[in-house]
Amino acid sequence: MLDCAPESNILYPGSAAELERPSVANAEEAVVALFDELRTPLLRYLVAFPLGIADAEDVVQESFLALYKHLHGGKMPHNPRGWIFRAAHNVALKRQVRSRKDSKTAGTVAGIETAVDPAPNPEDRFSLNQTQQRILAVVRALPQQSRWCLYLRGEGLRYREIAEILGVSLGAVSLRLARSLALIGRAARR
Amino acid sequence: MRERHLTDQELIRAADGELSAAEAARAQKHIAACSPCRMRKDDLETALAQFAAVQTREPIPPAAHARALLRQRIARMPEPAWTDAIWRPAAAICVAIIAVITIFVVRHVSDRRVAHVASVSVPNPMLTPGVTVLLSKGEVCEATAPKNKTVPAALQRKVFDEYGMTAADPKFYEVDYLITPALGGADDIRNLWPQSNTATDWNAQVKDALEDRMRELVCQGQLDLATAQREIATDWIHAYKKYFHTDRPLIRSSN
Repeated sequence: MLDCAPESNILYPGSAAELERPSVANAEEAVVALFDELRTPLLRYLVAFPLGIADAEDVVQESFLALYKHLHGGKMPHNPRGWIFRAAHNVALKRQVRSRKDSKTAGTVAGIETAVDPAPNPEDRFSLNQTQQRILAVVRALPQQSRWCLYLRGEGLRYREIAEILGVSLGAVSLRLARSLALIGRAARR
Repeated sequence: MRERHLTDQELIRAADGELSAAEAARAQKHIAACSPCRMRKDDLETALAQFAAVQTREPIPPAAHARALLRQRIARMPEPAWTDAIWRPAAAICVAIIAVITIFVVRHVSDRRVAHVASVSVPNPMLTPGVTVLLSKGEVCEATAPKNKTVPAALQRKVFDEYGMTAADPKFYEVDYLITPALGGADDIRNLWPQSNTATDWNAQVKDALEDRMRELVCQGQLDLATAQREIATDWIHAYKKYFHTDRPLIRSSN
């Protein structure tokens, strides 16, 4: 579990949740408070990863347990929001890789949950208007890194945080966002 | 001279408050005076709003059960052994002492060599993310297309300063464009870094060969311009290996 822990702690301005340095006794309360604040944005990101909601919940749990262990060990991330998103991203990535390997070796459909079908499903067709369905199809068909950039930005992360989570340059973040938004704009106007 | 239009990247960075104060002021002034850029900015903001509407539609189950589960799992986590409390700080202190000694030796025993050898084969992505201007494939492939030009001395000095290399001897470096102007790279400090000429195998001459190769592929229609820009900005050494089918540079350093 620990190897999903982000290595660097960078202090970003305007981070959502600044943790006081907790004692071992209140590490649990600090982690639960952060869990309450960030669970929903994390789940939204992980569902778009794409993971099923049950897998996404697992990844969130694992990430917060890693944070607890981190705090319990006397370490303190300067930017808890960035740290937890990066941890969750790493865990989700590992699951994705493992599930692809499983489906290859076993010849089964283990990876089916992570395969993105850009076409709107029946539920989408019912709940979204036509423009939104087209946008969703475009977003689902984006390269993974571009989709991640878009969703992380949508959850309010700064470009430096996104770059740190995805291990890309700042320029790559803005480039991917610009390209994705151009495609979304085109789909909306069609 | 007419001011150039803002790139899509600049527009989105402006919308997200990701420009420096000076850049933001310049962008705002340009947008106020430029109707096409204003329209593109509006389109971009509409796209952002449209994406936000589909992004938040996923129903999220209530947190109570998940929170209780997290507390249970925390309670079940084993306490760290008492020996950890002693050995971990001791190990950390040893590592710190070794690191300090190593830094001291490297700095003081071979200071000149370090300044020379500081192998800036890849740029710092925080300082040099790569910036492009809007150019079509046709413009890139024209005979009059912008070529990799020499960076003015004052700007070169600024790049060295930014990289904290004030003592470096400029003759061992080429202040190079990360994305070459020949592939649509911008004349912008965020697209420049001091690249070692001699210290490593992956030097400026090797990168020049890659730039020529990528432009050739773009103009032959075998490589998308945007992909070329992205690959060279993300990891030019990886791109070199990919397009020259080799793990080592084909041009060796003169050292």
